[in-house]
Amino acid sequence: MKSVFYLLDTAPYGSEKAFGALNAAAVSLNGMNVTLGLYEDGVYLAVVGQDSQKLGLPNLADILYAYGELRVIVHEPSLVERRLFGETLIETLELTDEEEFLEEIKSSDFIILL
Amino acid sequence: MKTLTIVLTDGPYISEYVEIAYKLAEAALKQYKVNMFLYLDGVHIPKKGQNPSFFTNAGQLFSGLSERGVVIRACARCAGARGYIPEEEIIEGNNCKDYFPGVRISSLYELSEMLSESDKVISLSR
Repeated sequence: MKSVFYLLDTAPYGSEKAFGALNAAAVSLNGMNVTLGLYEDGVYLAVVGQDSQKLGLPNLADILYAYGELRVIVHEPSLVERRLFGETLIETLELTDEEEFLEEIKSSDFIILL
Repeated sequence: MKTLTIVLTDGPYISEYVEIAYKLAEAALKQYKVNMFLYLDGVHIPKKGQNPSFFTNAGQLFSGLSERGVVIRACARCAGARGYIPEEEIIEGNNCKDYFPGVRISSLYELSEMLSESDKVISLSR
């Protein structure tokens, strides 16, 4: 089975990219090993308590919960740089250090940057 | 024959990715079956009626690729959000009157199918 790594380095809600990454990752679950990697500003997607109602946008955390089988890894140094390490994070996500994150990328057949 | 899929997420002219994708696809056609998936703002690339003053017409570039066998699909959700509506009838390989021939609006699941059958994938995104 082929593996695809979706790399998200932009914050949710500021653009369509996070929503697009989640949708593309979700449809890829059928027949591929899929990992969504949150990097740099993408790690904001990992924080619990997102409320997008006033933005008129779907709650992206809810989408993450809906696709529990989607493997999501979070680049820990990016969390630390943004002082998010002490925040409550969505419990299904995996924290990875620099080396583990790069290894995940290297071991994937395809990388899609959104 | 091996398969190459190119994923584009940006619109035309804001970067050189359309031209890069065109050149990659053109070169790859000698050895690969080539797919292109237009996602997010990438769905603007094949729009008819573009008239850039200083750049190569992105839509025409892609239309030429389609004539040479490149399979080009645009995400239905992204296309609909931007006003490109698919029609039931397919004419000249095209199901959207606002697009150049050979470009079809399809489900995002087709991206997954393209990836599954690919030997190489190139993603161009700012």
